[in-house]
Amino acid sequence: MKKNKFVPDKQNIVSFSLMGPESGGMCMVDSNDDRITRIRPYFYDKEYTDTHCNPWKIEARGQTFTAPDRVTITPFGLGYKSRVYSPNRVRYPLKRVDWDPEGDRHPETRGQSKYVRISWDEAAEIVAKELKRQKEKYGPEAVLCQADMHGEGKNVAPSHGCPNRLLSLMGGYTLQMRNMDSWEGWFWGAKYVWGCEPVGEMAPQTNLFPDIAKHSDLLLFWGCDPEVTPLGVVSHLPSRLCYWFTDLGIKSVYICPDLNYGAAVHADKWIPILPNTDVALQLAIAYIWITEDRYDKDYIAAHAYGFDKFEDYVLGREDGVPKTPAWASEKCGVKEWTIKAMARDWADKTASILHGNGGPYIRGPYSSEPARLEVMLLGMRGVGKPGVHQAKVIEWSLWNRDYPVPFQGQFVPKITAIADPLRPVEGDVEPHINMRRFELTDAQKERAPELIELFKKLPAPLQFIPRCHVHKAILEGHAEWRGLQCFSSSQQPGPDNYRHPTQQYQFKEMQYPRPGMSRVHMIWTDAPCQVTCWNDGNMSQRAFRDPSIECIVAQHPWLENDCYFADIIFPVATKHEMNDLGNDMSSGAFTSIYLEEPCCPPVGESLSDFDVCAKVAEKLGPEYYAVYTGNMSEKERVRFFYKATGCEDYMTWEEFKARKIFVVPCKPQAEHEALPAGLYNFYKDPEGHPLSTPTGKLEYFSTEINEYLPNDPERPPVPHWIEAGESHDERLSSKRAEKYPLLCMSNHGRWRMHAQCDDIVWNREVETMKIRGADGYQYEPCWLSVREAEKRGIRHGDIVKVYNERGIVLCGAYVTERLIDRTCYVDHGSRLDPIIPGWLDRGGAINCITPANTTSKNATGMAVSGFLCQVEKVTDEEWAQWKRDYPEAFARHVDPDAGVCLEGWLIKEDAK
Amino acid sequence: MSKIFLMDVARCTGCYNCQLACKDEHCGNNWLPYAAPQPLTGQFWCKVTEHVQGSIPKVKIHYISHLCAHCADAACIASCPVEAISRRTDGFVLIDPGKCVGCGRCVKACPYDAIYFNKELNIAQKCTGCTHLLDNGAAQPRCSEACPTDALVFGEEEELKDRLVGARPLSPGGKLWYKNIPGEFIGGTVYDPVEKEVVIGARCVLAGEGGEKTTETDSYGDFWFKNLPAGGNYDLTISAPGYKDKIFSGLSTETSVNLDDIPLERA
Repeated sequence: MKKNKFVPDKQNIVSFSLMGPESGGMCMVDSNDDRITRIRPYFYDKEYTDTHCNPWKIEARGQTFTAPDRVTITPFGLGYKSRVYSPNRVRYPLKRVDWDPEGDRHPETRGQSKYVRISWDEAAEIVAKELKRQKEKYGPEAVLCQADMHGEGKNVAPSHGCPNRLLSLMGGYTLQMRNMDSWEGWFWGAKYVWGCEPVGEMAPQTNLFPDIAKHSDLLLFWGCDPEVTPLGVVSHLPSRLCYWFTDLGIKSVYICPDLNYGAAVHADKWIPILPNTDVALQLAIAYIWITEDRYDKDYIAAHAYGFDKFEDYVLGREDGVPKTPAWASEKCGVKEWTIKAMARDWADKTASILHGNGGPYIRGPYSSEPARLEVMLLGMRGVGKPGVHQAKVIEWSLWNRDYPVPFQGQFVPKITAIADPLRPVEGDVEPHINMRRFELTDAQKERAPELIELFKKLPAPLQFIPRCHVHKAILEGHAEWRGLQCFSSSQQPGPDNYRHPTQQYQFKEMQYPRPGMSRVHMIWTDAPCQVTCWNDGNMSQRAFRDPSIECIVAQHPWLENDCYFADIIFPVATKHEMNDLGNDMSSGAFTSIYLEEPCCPPVGESLSDFDVCAKVAEKLGPEYYAVYTGNMSEKERVRFFYKATGCEDYMTWEEFKARKIFVVPCKPQAEHEALPAGLYNFYKDPEGHPLSTPTGKLEYFSTEINEYLPNDPERPPVPHWIEAGESHDERLSSKRAEKYPLLCMSNHGRWRMHAQCDDIVWNREVETMKIRGADGYQYEPCWLSVREAEKRGIRHGDIVKVYNERGIVLCGAYVTERLIDRTCYVDHGSRLDPIIPGWLDRGGAINCITPANTTSKNATGMAVSGFLCQVEKVTDEEWAQWKRDYPEAFARHVDPDAGVCLEGWLIKEDAK
Repeated sequence: MSKIFLMDVARCTGCYNCQLACKDEHCGNNWLPYAAPQPLTGQFWCKVTEHVQGSIPKVKIHYISHLCAHCADAACIASCPVEAISRRTDGFVLIDPGKCVGCGRCVKACPYDAIYFNKELNIAQKCTGCTHLLDNGAAQPRCSEACPTDALVFGEEEELKDRLVGARPLSPGGKLWYKNIPGEFIGGTVYDPVEKEVVIGARCVLAGEGGEKTTETDSYGDFWFKNLPAGGNYDLTISAPGYKDKIFSGLSTETSVNLDDIPLERA
């Protein structure tokens, strides 16, 4: 037992957001004797902020909502000590035991064979050598860089993109481009109705929450869980807002298959609906409004294009099927009388729709359709009118020049990004579209000339594969798709807050490999979560075991998911072990810049992501090392990044070092309040303030889809109910449903941020996080209604298999009244524990059995929620058979509290 | 003057931060003489429980944080044969890990199941109110400090008096107060099966425990009678102009009752 210290040796401010590109909200970390003691919420110095920072407030209906006095900490932040010291940490460089770069590489045993410890020197040397060999033999494009998305919020050594930086110096690589995950339906659908760059959700979001507080009397949480998605990227501010809206008398109606965590505590009314059937409900609502003359016809006349064609479809003039409540009820499972009541209640009230990304509403097959219809229904209510918006409970700072909650500072303390995982291929995009998110601005150059060399523009990659096509591309050696994917999220708005339309790029026909370029033979990943976060994880596992892939390198703090398929694994330090400069633009009380210092020494031999790649650069040669690092240390980067933010005009470096935080004063209340809320200008003057659609109006009939792909049955110019199509056959009406009669829905986890934080032992004690099976293993919960469980003889806590023709995932039955019949529900992101790689998983990684096909044929998103499966109790015979056939997989050590862990994957001698 | 905990159940989102913060503070950390480490998992000096009421689609959920009530007249103190448990002048009841002999009597004596037995150390353990922090300048224990919605707060009884309206202590004179713990409900949706329309404004009269209660169906045809005592017996009459009365007799609130979609027959 250690000696007790009631006053900590040191206290550090550290980010706890798991967003990745921005540090986000911070917490206070106490350490004693080089070990983290506790993690607490960060409280602002109220005396200071009250005097200098102009704390914001919202006043409405005689009540006031004020900025919290702290950053409300989330369960992830609070439990992070368990993550830093997890038995799952990669503690030193590892090599897969039967991968011999000089001899047999055994791609077929990836996901099964174990690891041996090697030195940093050896690991870096092997990888440098392999990079050179690949380049020589196939050309630089043979190396695929999988480096994007969420992670710890780090800036001077970002979680994602360091390998891209190094690989650029090799003369190129194949970029894994993010598909527009989180915004699938909005990007591939809603954009064609209202533009709203960059992702197709309503933009701008300026002042929406004050406006809602003043004017709305109904909030529709449509597939939205304000108690889940904000936890990974914002804070609990949305929870506080939801309580306040209820206090103001605003009614909250939740439409979702599950009584989600927000609905559980905030809903005035829950309307359960079958997963991925919202289109039927939406069309029936339009039917009621049209036939009962309950919509804003003047608004539609002035603001809409092609409404008559939409009306033709809704009323059945197009296809002979009027979209009546009776028609819809059959499809979506909502009672006819409830559909009518909802349509009229909505028509009678001033309503906004809230979203938090994810869920079956927008991440299912054909999600372009509900997304488009939502915008059209909002249009029929006069979107832009006070109180009528689509508002988001997350991503407040991501693209908004002015924020939806008035926590915005008088200036934006931007930290420049050192690595760019989202660059389009040169020539794919017209140069007037400004994507310089990852470059130094002129002002930054002037403030911190020391950084110019480090930020020298490195060559862009020459080919890319969208993330949702990577496995197919590897297995088939080629891939074809439409669209340039995520690049447009990097588009910087002009001074008038204008972003160029990019919808046209979404029709571009693309291919891999590009003429004259190699297919992929090596993978370097700093985002090893493909199997548990993307489409058809079992196909990903097959791709990782494909003989065409000669080497896989992973860099990650934890041994999890795709890491089991890597040949070389580099140990990465967590945030708590390094120096950094944090920026909080999203937790919601204030924006701030803060200094982060190590709370403890690096665990094992881990290094920051930046330094991992520097090690390999060193082996490639001094010229690589010099350009890669700019000859600048971590601490120097922190110093000069601070200089570049512009905060030095307000707080000197010396003072900042002492205080460790600079809180940016909020915009004056009057200035913020004067800004028009949401699409108010378009509402008032559609000619003067047009949308970025070709007609400048809300397009109920898409002119662009009609121009490029008029005959696409999976995404026609007017949104349709699609029973089945070329890409998907995932409805209860399908013949497949005879064998797989449940619609599996998958949300973001409440106790994880995608694949992050699955190993926090204290979160794992919460029953909705893990269920301990009779064998002592902690299984991922699979929710089933009481009736569906009874039908199958399943009791709460039983080990069950969730399966379809794509594979089997084992879970623990969570029998509940919180889920509609004919469905099951498993959150995505649980860590893989492969029993039969590519077929049977014990870890509950539900994405293993999700559809491989994208949103629709011409919409390149994921469709990983709302798919057919069956759930059955695992029989004793089956267990016995598996254990006989796969003894090694079952013998891997699993930590009783943290789950899968390093020890289970080391060969015996090293495990000691 | 005494500091207390107040938990407002109506403000709890079920984030479990209080439970997690307690573990972050006490698992693997040694705070002797106040407390020896809590086992890594399996014990809950601060424990959140989830309560699901009703059935689909009328389901309500609330969460309750359970910590030591720090009773004025603590059964654990009386049960201890070696005087290892005592109440400080500020009201916190502490088990002295140095004196505890591991007889386990207090674990059984506690009426609220707030005491755990640490087998490895052979001592009884429970919430210390984070007195090791409070005595060293902290404003709050870890659990209340971590609460993002101020559902669980800690402070002087006097300072909290506005929020204490409607609250009651778990044990008289103790430090743990609760408010807004919901009772059971009876609810349903009234509709016309011929027109396939909800019936708005139907009069619903509930007779039974606590006299007669009346409400009307809302714009979704829904009615709710909330906060009914558990185990009550009720008769419900639903009436609307043009329809025959619908009567439910002998509804028991042993658990909450979802009457689901209720068809009204035309008169």
